Amino acid sequence: MILPLPDWVQAYRPNWVALILIYWSMALPKKVGLWFALFSGLLLDTLHGTLLGQHALALVIIIYINLNLYQRIRVLSLPQQSFYVFSLLFINQVAVVWVEGILGRPPPLMVFISAPIIGMLIWPWAFVILRDIRRKAMLG
Amino acid sequence: MKQILNNTRVATAHTLFLVCFCIALMIVDHRFNHLEVVRSNISLVLSPLRYLVSFPAMAGNWVSEWFTAHTELLEDNGELRADMRLLNARLQKMIVLQEENQRLRSLLASSRKLADQVVVAELLSVDQNPYRQLIEINRGSADGVFIGHAVIDDFGIMGQVIHANLHSATIILISDPDHATPVQFIRSGVRSVAFGNGNTDQLEIRYLPATSDIQIGDELVTSGLGGRFPADYPVATVSAIREDLTHGFVSVMATPKARLDSSREVLVIKPRL
Repeated sequence: MILPLPDWVQAYRPNWVALILIYWSMALPKKVGLWFALFSGLLLDTLHGTLLGQHALALVIIIYINLNLYQRIRVLSLPQQSFYVFSLLFINQVAVVWVEGILGRPPPLMVFISAPIIGMLIWPWAFVILRDIRRKAMLG
Repeated sequence: MKQILNNTRVATAHTLFLVCFCIALMIVDHRFNHLEVVRSNISLVLSPLRYLVSFPAMAGNWVSEWFTAHTELLEDNGELRADMRLLNARLQKMIVLQEENQRLRSLLASSRKLADQVVVAELLSVDQNPYRQLIEINRGSADGVFIGHAVIDDFGIMGQVIHANLHSATIILISDPDHATPVQFIRSGVRSVAFGNGNTDQLEIRYLPATSDIQIGDELVTSGLGGRFPADYPVATVSAIREDLTHGFVSVMATPKARLDSSREVLVIKPRL
């Protein structure tokens, strides 16, 4: 999220933190849960200069949804999972943007929806890579 | 089954608690300044990460500097010398003018204007939230950079410091939708406030009286009102004037002088005490 990239790419960057959190809370729901989401959200907030709690709130909400649904989602195929991941990323985005809107700076629509779509397209690869890492590390 | 249900209920209570916590945190952060300490502490912990992330870009710069051709360097050197001679020549005049100015001021018994103290800082290549216009620099409170200090580049005002950590600081650019810069039109002397609108190449001045004397190409400088920005630094050039006939107002678009999206070296101005 904080990689130095040209300006126009900025809106299209997938939300890596959310993607990775979704994977790990699916793979190791007992270990990676709400507190993990809260703290990574707070770190994101400091990195981005947003209100403390803005990203944390969004991540807590999607990880909560994920913790309730992961058993049903884990058995789906990767493309099917992608749609699920899209809806989570979208909810995350809505929560973040709501706060921006309350503060009086609503972002343009394209910016708002492009990141979750890119995140959805990246999910299968992210999933495979993270699964391999998990297997190498012999976790879960 | 019962256990699973139980777990879910616990998670719900837990989530509700955390959601309330986050909302409370946001409200406190928005309304008060108490969380500045927390933020700068987290930032301090994260600062190695920031340097690590910006390392490839910095390394790229070093490498390209290292391999710059000798002839190119000679050329650059020549150009810079020429520039310096020119500036020095202008400076000689400046010194005379400054002395004259001081004499006149002392005649008027008004306070003396001193040169501003500055800190040179470099941008850490950290891109932030796309909805805001914030940048990060590599100087912090250890170097005397504090909240509220104005930041300029070679061309004009860039913004001001909004968070100061020990070794880094966050700058809000004048083009951020939340930022307003007190300005004055040089030609006509009209004072107003220039708002950012999220584009790095545009500032907006709303609600000027329809009768005010403004033309395209007029230069805007800081007015020094509000006490945040020192007076008389260039801010922008008027690029368009829109008349709102129904309300009898004029709104003016202006192009910032500073290179908000491409300057790498910036100067932080310390206010005189």
